[in-house]
Amino acid sequence: MSSLILPNPRRTVRDRLAKIHWPLVILLTLIAGAGVITLYSVAEGHWRPWALKHAVRYGVAVCILVAMGLVAMRYWMALAYPIYFAALAALIAVPFFGEVNMGARRWLEFGGTQFQPSEAMKIGLVMGLARYYHGLRAEQVSHILYLIPPALMIGAPVALVFIQPDLGTSLLLAATGVIIVFVAGLSWRIGVIGVIGAGIAGYAAYYFDILKEYQLRRITTFLNPDSDPLGQGYHLLQSKTGIGSGGLTGKGFMEGTQSQLKFLPEMHTDFIFTVFGEEFGFVGAIGLLMLYFAVIVTGLSIGMAAKSHFARLTVVGVVSTFALYVLINTGMVMGLAPVVGVPLPLVSYGGTVMMTIMAGFGLIMSAHVHREHDVLKKGDFL
Amino acid sequence: MLNAHDPERQEIVSRRTVLFGGGVGAMMVVIAGRLYQLQVADHEKYQALAEENKFNRRVLTPLRGDIVDRFGNVLASNRKNFRILLLPERAGDVGVTLDHVGQIVPVTDERRQRIFREIRRRGAFTPIEIEDNLDWASFSRVNYELPHLAGVLPDVGETRDYPLGSATSFVIGYVGAVTDADLDAQENDEDRNLLRQPGFKVGRDGLERTYEEELRGEAGKMSVVINAHGRVIEEVKDGMTPPVQGKPLTLTIDSELQQHAMQVLATPAERQPDEPQSAAAVVMDVITGDILVLASTPAFNPNDFNVGIDPDLWRELNQSQYKPLLNKALAGEYAPGSALKMIAAIAGQEMGFNPSQTVRCTGKVWYGNRFFHCWKRGGHGVRDMKGAIRDSCNVYFYELAKTLDIDLLAETARKFGLGQTYELGVTGQKPGVVPSRDWKRRYYAGQPENQTWFQGETLSAIIGQGAWTTTPLQLCVMAARIATGRAVRPRLVRAVGDLILPAPTASLINVNPAHLDVVRAGMNAVTNEYGTAARSRLEDPDWQLAGKTGSSQVFRITAEERARGLTKQEDLPWARRDHAVFVSYMPYENPRYACAVLVEHGIGGSRAAGPKARDIMKKVAERDPSSRPPLDPREFVRAAAATREG
Repeated sequence: MSSLILPNPRRTVRDRLAKIHWPLVILLTLIAGAGVITLYSVAEGHWRPWALKHAVRYGVAVCILVAMGLVAMRYWMALAYPIYFAALAALIAVPFFGEVNMGARRWLEFGGTQFQPSEAMKIGLVMGLARYYHGLRAEQVSHILYLIPPALMIGAPVALVFIQPDLGTSLLLAATGVIIVFVAGLSWRIGVIGVIGAGIAGYAAYYFDILKEYQLRRITTFLNPDSDPLGQGYHLLQSKTGIGSGGLTGKGFMEGTQSQLKFLPEMHTDFIFTVFGEEFGFVGAIGLLMLYFAVIVTGLSIGMAAKSHFARLTVVGVVSTFALYVLINTGMVMGLAPVVGVPLPLVSYGGTVMMTIMAGFGLIMSAHVHREHDVLKKGDFL
Repeated sequence: MLNAHDPERQEIVSRRTVLFGGGVGAMMVVIAGRLYQLQVADHEKYQALAEENKFNRRVLTPLRGDIVDRFGNVLASNRKNFRILLLPERAGDVGVTLDHVGQIVPVTDERRQRIFREIRRRGAFTPIEIEDNLDWASFSRVNYELPHLAGVLPDVGETRDYPLGSATSFVIGYVGAVTDADLDAQENDEDRNLLRQPGFKVGRDGLERTYEEELRGEAGKMSVVINAHGRVIEEVKDGMTPPVQGKPLTLTIDSELQQHAMQVLATPAERQPDEPQSAAAVVMDVITGDILVLASTPAFNPNDFNVGIDPDLWRELNQSQYKPLLNKALAGEYAPGSALKMIAAIAGQEMGFNPSQTVRCTGKVWYGNRFFHCWKRGGHGVRDMKGAIRDSCNVYFYELAKTLDIDLLAETARKFGLGQTYELGVTGQKPGVVPSRDWKRRYYAGQPENQTWFQGETLSAIIGQGAWTTTPLQLCVMAARIATGRAVRPRLVRAVGDLILPAPTASLINVNPAHLDVVRAGMNAVTNEYGTAARSRLEDPDWQLAGKTGSSQVFRITAEERARGLTKQEDLPWARRDHAVFVSYMPYENPRYACAVLVEHGIGGSRAAGPKARDIMKKVAERDPSSRPPLDPREFVRAAAATREG
């Protein structure tokens, strides 16, 4: 046992920088680069208003990522609950102090800068749950008593985000939470029961009109896009037309007629994949998807190589959030998922989401740099 | 106690992480498959959709052909119409767009509902007219605000314009908005698509309707690159087929005479300045059959119709007792009255009646079981045929009728143009009624006991009363045929495009020319030998007018009214008075023009109709349109093309 309680050898910053997973940084940079050129095209060949800012933000975010990677995992674990509860407190504050934007109350304002607590919660929930399961033994995971805290930890933010209302983010939080619980070792039996329960809850939500009309319409339009060709379905049809007309090799950079003639909505955010697909074709789009998949695989392999339970679950949580973003966004613009307003990570324009994602990868980086640490030397606490 | 290296826990997490990664990978494959489906398998379909988005094939509406009179004066043309259209597909929320537009140009609730109806009917991809005939100020404001008006397209269209207004409405007719029935009637989709263009009008009445195909022209096509807001980014040059304007129509009408006639008809008679004038007149060239004047008053203004008629005005037009929507010149049916006496005289001579044989008129004749009265109470005394026509003596013709076969009278009437319609291209012509044995049999088809013709009926028929009905057009043709002895046929269209329609040759009518001479002499005497229309005489020796008066009984004065002392027509309410008829031709010696005038409830031909005919014919004599070269339509087509290009 003695070897276990030996302090980890202290390393210099230089040592730790050398251990940074540079291939991952390069992959992320390539994806963000795709975002920059697409945003340049959407602005009809201008750096403003999006492309330049996107590039600068990414530059800042990479620095934050590396900096976070240098911080030892045990500090992150110590911060896990504080971050989770701070995010939860902010979410609770939203209905009272939040800014109303597009019919939803999602933003808090701090000294002139806007801040979206639901984004912070994406990191907070991952860290909180990882911290919780870090303290459980394998056999405890599926015990019903030990399921109550994670259920509350997931349920509270999901409910708070849902009433903002922001259906997309609340589903994303719920899915991320469930994935962490599952990876932590939840028994299949409980998993199946949970899925059935979720189905019933979903039906009840529909039955008791809990969904807002526009949320319901998104789902019905998704199920039958031709029912409303000039409303929600119109955007979807135009998006499919954009991607489909791109063909194998695309129409060429800045040559997309659907985007250049502004048939697409939200081209710089939710529908940016359509622009990319139209201009760079099947080859380009598959290339981008492969970059994403490479990031996911790299992330998961970092997680599996980490020694501490906290690090492994944090990595899986961050990767699952990232993967869900990619899958829902690309599915959405191609008619495989409802149009719920989920951005394409690192490509869509938007500072908050980029910071969340990059901070998440900062945690992954820390897990990689400090993969030998088991972070338990200070004793365990639940 | 917890083992940091809890191997069981570590193993589960690793397994599940791999499982999770596999799941993500599987979904990535689904996404890639969808990409393949959209971008490779169905690429052509989406390519076409994108092209369709990008290129908007627009129908270029052709200009409607002009309608001109025989000298090239414009009767129907096109003028600029500033309007705003809505492309629902691009508008997003149509209601919101209309609210925005409403801040510049008032959009009534009625119009809103109409727009929504149109969208449902025509679909989201056809522009719908929001408002037309805007003034320049509103139109330019809409253009200025355009960036904020999604789906709104300002447009300069063309609308039909009738510069002479009501003066030619019964000749030309009018155009109106396209109905579902019109769409169904089209033979192909291309035509249907043209008719769906905003503000497209089709001929609704008159020549506009009859010559719709010729006047409409051919649609052009243009491909334009548009953006999502419907704004044209560029026009595709080789994708353009220019529209072809419809063929111009050259009429036989002399617009100056037409306007003059409308004015004459509308002028109240001297003795009855307050009497409304509901009247009709037809003037034709007796050699060619060219109709120079086809007038009916009161008349509607066709310009009120092509912009969508005001419901109040429509009601007023429909309910007026002066029937401004009825083309009285060819759809009004009136008993010819004494104007039929020429036909009676010809039929009598054909029967073998000697025109120099005289009859003593004592004011009435007993026949069957009742008296038949002359219009002159004391009687005319002794009259031969010419004198009987001059003085319109009924008794003379009653004597004739006693032995005249009604079928001979009917046959003669038909030979001279009554009881039939003519191919003028104007809608609503009425054939009228020529009484005969056959007619009576058909009229009383279900009542065999009433089918027998009684000779007493011939006595009524011979003075143009009873079942007779004729139109002013038929009466004019009758005058022209008496004047020439030829079966002249009237016509209204001289040329379609640059194709000149030759005047049909009129064959000789199978009657003894000597019989016609007697009748002509009688008509000459009516105006020039102190006959019933002496006051309608034309003083110009070159243009001696021959005519005949008539009055068409509307209601018989009842015995009860006669007992009350009500014998004078003037004492009756307007709507019960007799119609006044006057038929004429000139010059007597070498006929060129014939004219028929009818004044509804004008009482007497000599008083109400004759003077109007005289005033019209005086102007005809002055202008003598047939002596002047009419317009060569080929020149007109060239001139019109030059103006358009210039």
